[in-house]
Amino acid sequence: MRKAIVFLLIISIGLISPTFLLAQNKTEVLIRNATVLTAAKGTLENTDILIQNDKIAKIGKNLKASANAQVIDATGKFVSPGIIDCHSHSMLDAINEFSYSVTSMTTVKDALNPTDITIYRALAGGVTAGNLLHGSANAIGGQNTVVKFKWGKPVEDFPISDAPPGIKFALGENPKRTHVQVQPGQTPRYPRTRMGVMEVIRDAFVRARDYKKSWDDFRAKKTKLVPRRDLELEPLVEILEGKRLVHAHGYRSDEHLNLMLIADEFGFKIATLQHGLEAYKIAPEIARRGTAVSIFVDSWSYKFEAYDAIPYNAAILWKAGVSVSINSDSDERMRRLNLDAAKVMKYGGVPEEDSLKMITLNAAKQLGIDRRTGSIEVGKDADLVIWNAHPFSVYARPEITMIEGEIYFDRTKDIQRRADLEKERQELEKLDINKPSGTTQPRIPSERRIEERDEAEYGDGGNQ
Amino acid sequence: MKIRSFFFAFLAIGLFSVFSAEAQTRNDVYAITNARIVTVSGAAIEKGTVVVRDGLIESVGADARVPADARVLDGTGLTVYPGFFDALTNLGLAAPQPRPQPVGGQAAQQTQPQSNSNYPNGMQPEVSVFEQLKGGDAQFEANRNAGFTTALTVGRDGVFNGQSAVINLAGDSVSELVIKSPFAEHFTFRTAGGGAYPASLLGTFSAFRQMLLDAQRLQDWQKTYAANPKGMKRPEMDKSLEALFPLINGTMPIVFNANTEREIVRALDLAKEFKLNAIIGGGQEAWKLAPRLRQQNVAVLLSLNFPKRTTSVSPEADPENLETLRFRAETPKGAARLAQAGVRFAFQTGGLTNVNDFFTNAAKTTENGLPIDSAIRAMTLASAQILGVDNRLGSIETGKIANLTVVRGDILSKDKTITHVFVDGRLFEQKEKPKTPPTTGGGATTPAIASVGGNYSITIEIPGQSLPGTLALTQQGAILSGTISTQMTGTAPIKDGKVTSDGFSFSANVDYGGNQIEINVTGKVTGSSISGTIESPQGAIPFSGTKNP
Repeated sequence: MRKAIVFLLIISIGLISPTFLLAQNKTEVLIRNATVLTAAKGTLENTDILIQNDKIAKIGKNLKASANAQVIDATGKFVSPGIIDCHSHSMLDAINEFSYSVTSMTTVKDALNPTDITIYRALAGGVTAGNLLHGSANAIGGQNTVVKFKWGKPVEDFPISDAPPGIKFALGENPKRTHVQVQPGQTPRYPRTRMGVMEVIRDAFVRARDYKKSWDDFRAKKTKLVPRRDLELEPLVEILEGKRLVHAHGYRSDEHLNLMLIADEFGFKIATLQHGLEAYKIAPEIARRGTAVSIFVDSWSYKFEAYDAIPYNAAILWKAGVSVSINSDSDERMRRLNLDAAKVMKYGGVPEEDSLKMITLNAAKQLGIDRRTGSIEVGKDADLVIWNAHPFSVYARPEITMIEGEIYFDRTKDIQRRADLEKERQELEKLDINKPSGTTQPRIPSERRIEERDEAEYGDGGNQ
Repeated sequence: MKIRSFFFAFLAIGLFSVFSAEAQTRNDVYAITNARIVTVSGAAIEKGTVVVRDGLIESVGADARVPADARVLDGTGLTVYPGFFDALTNLGLAAPQPRPQPVGGQAAQQTQPQSNSNYPNGMQPEVSVFEQLKGGDAQFEANRNAGFTTALTVGRDGVFNGQSAVINLAGDSVSELVIKSPFAEHFTFRTAGGGAYPASLLGTFSAFRQMLLDAQRLQDWQKTYAANPKGMKRPEMDKSLEALFPLINGTMPIVFNANTEREIVRALDLAKEFKLNAIIGGGQEAWKLAPRLRQQNVAVLLSLNFPKRTTSVSPEADPENLETLRFRAETPKGAARLAQAGVRFAFQTGGLTNVNDFFTNAAKTTENGLPIDSAIRAMTLASAQILGVDNRLGSIETGKIANLTVVRGDILSKDKTITHVFVDGRLFEQKEKPKTPPTTGGGATTPAIASVGGNYSITIEIPGQSLPGTLALTQQGAILSGTISTQMTGTAPIKDGKVTSDGFSFSANVDYGGNQIEINVTGKVTGSSISGTIESPQGAIPFSGTKNP
């Protein structure tokens, strides 16, 4: 749909379009008279935000912009930072490399699909960035990519170039149940118990430590032959060196605690405990290590591991001083993260701004991108959402979602464009190539498309 | 009857026949006179002569002399083109055969090709199509009749499809029909199958990267060791990694099979990362990346298998995705856009079931803005250039190999007849236009239609595993409908079902591990037994079974 706009622009502007579009991106934007939820410095009434060169240049009252600035009147509206989903599998053509228990050599960056419609739907829900993770079929999964959802842009524009690299780990049911036997006679994959999962992780770091030593020795000229580059162990060495963030899927507190003990043993920190439905049981242990937690607010009992979940998890962790973010792990729930944040106010009475941080600034900190996004502060990227109501209201919906000052979702334009798209559809359907040949039976879909299914309906494929 | 008499004739002539055929075909001299000659390398000659001697073009021109010993073919009303290329095929390979019933894992083991590679099947870049080809003219008859003389061919299976070869579509032995081998390594973004690594697209990338890094290291190591082996650990002999040396050294191209925009981007990124000499095979959406292809100087073996809508409207069906509607409308315009951007491309059939559609669809590219000259080039000289054989093939020039296609009418028009095809100077005459269009599978066409309707219990031979299923086939003339079901995939309706003289084909979208995959099924019915092959993204899988009473 974005393409359609660009296409129309090109038609109307003609040959000068490339320079014009470039200029358009850099145009000043002035958002006037909004209620600004900064997620850092409180709520500012009747406030303007001036955007220059993709960044927030000024926040204040009665700001002046140059004559050609785009002015958006936000009287009666709310502006929040763009929402950041700290656990997503959107826009991925592949999620799980389930053949091995350690697949740190893989990276989801290789399988990005910039045309996935869920990106546009995320924008329509106010989400501007996401932590795209490998699935949870393996004790040590693949490398992550942190992206901004720049719908319509080429794939190379999506990853945030200065985001620290990360990796997915997974504990418990998912990695231990993936001991599938694809062919008769084949040895099922190790491990098949929770203790085996821990052993796989410890073994991998022992190997990584040896690998690092082989390179250190070579660099110190103790050995002659250049060691083999091992794409499986290189990311693990980066973890040992504190250069790569570990996002560890897990449900049970004993397992998350065990993992942190392994990290202690090898001298690194787990960046985030993902899901962590029982994290409230070990809040002090988590806080002490400076590890963060990224959770679901109020879903539980969808699997045995999730029976001890409580909606007060976030509040308890927050009170213990743990950085908490709320993620979706779902293309569908990603669009309603604002309401998930609102629930944290209800369950445990977390203050409004701290609740909002759980879908913005805290997620940015957990992903190491808070220098550039996550809150409305001068100097940060202009990743903003203009809402018709307070985002914690059930009546709230994003009207404009922008990334780096560029509008990627505009509800008014979306509605206007529908007639054009319908017209295009009708014209395309008239073409011979799009007419059914009529010689075969129609295929009646045996099931609805994935995006139309409810979360509970489909096997999580090693996720969640 | 026919077969029997042919057989007797063969017996009678015996070994002598081989030599007499040799004498008759190789030394023949032909002169095609009064023909329109599309040389491709230069201007077309409206009325001229092409002389063929000893497999080569002896002379060409408006005033070319007709040698006294030449057999003269009056080309009045005919057009002579350079022999046409199909720039990416599996021609010359045996059709995937149903495997014998495996008994446990052992039988499955035995069906695996013998290899001492350290890498599993599908991850062996050293596999060469040269070893898989078979000689003989008959297998290419349908393609020659359609006007093709030359093809790039490569194995079907694997993540690494192996090394390809440029072949002429005639020759008794493999060594005779191969023009260039190896041409390139071929790579498909798929998985190893059977749950083995790489079992996902993610693993496909990491496995590829690790192999290239290992190849780089092994090459450096072997060089250092060769210079002075004393005191150094001996590097291994690794045929799989060694087959990657020419890729990382840039001396052999790698063809990435990629049709969608994002697959092509992934291929171009990999090429950049490892400084590979990349070619895109397929390229249905390559036009969207034309500037980048031009900038990276990457050629496209462009599929002429244009997307078609095959299902009829159902009141319950969802409206088609706008992207799908656009994709069908835009794909035939791709060639013109690539040409305009200066991207090099050659046409290929892209798995079209009817090879004649190649020329129908080539004509569609010209209706969508591609100049006719460029379209002709994309199946002659441009193909030869991309495949690195343009010093021998691709145009009608003195001294080049006499691969010629002679046509009554224009090759891109609907009313045309291929009258003569020369391959290596050997003449293949086509007496009349065949009534039924030939298929890429080749073989004789008889007008009778097989009878295949009924319910069948089948066994699908997934490597190391037998998957039971049922086929319910309803036949109405040449049209087949029904369902295919297995425990693993559920029941799926079949589509594009066709019955031919010797078998049937259909495709279906089945649920496989939560994903919809498209399978293409071909097979035949003999008495109460059924057998055939299922082509899936995981490769070709044989099946067999019996009719239920």
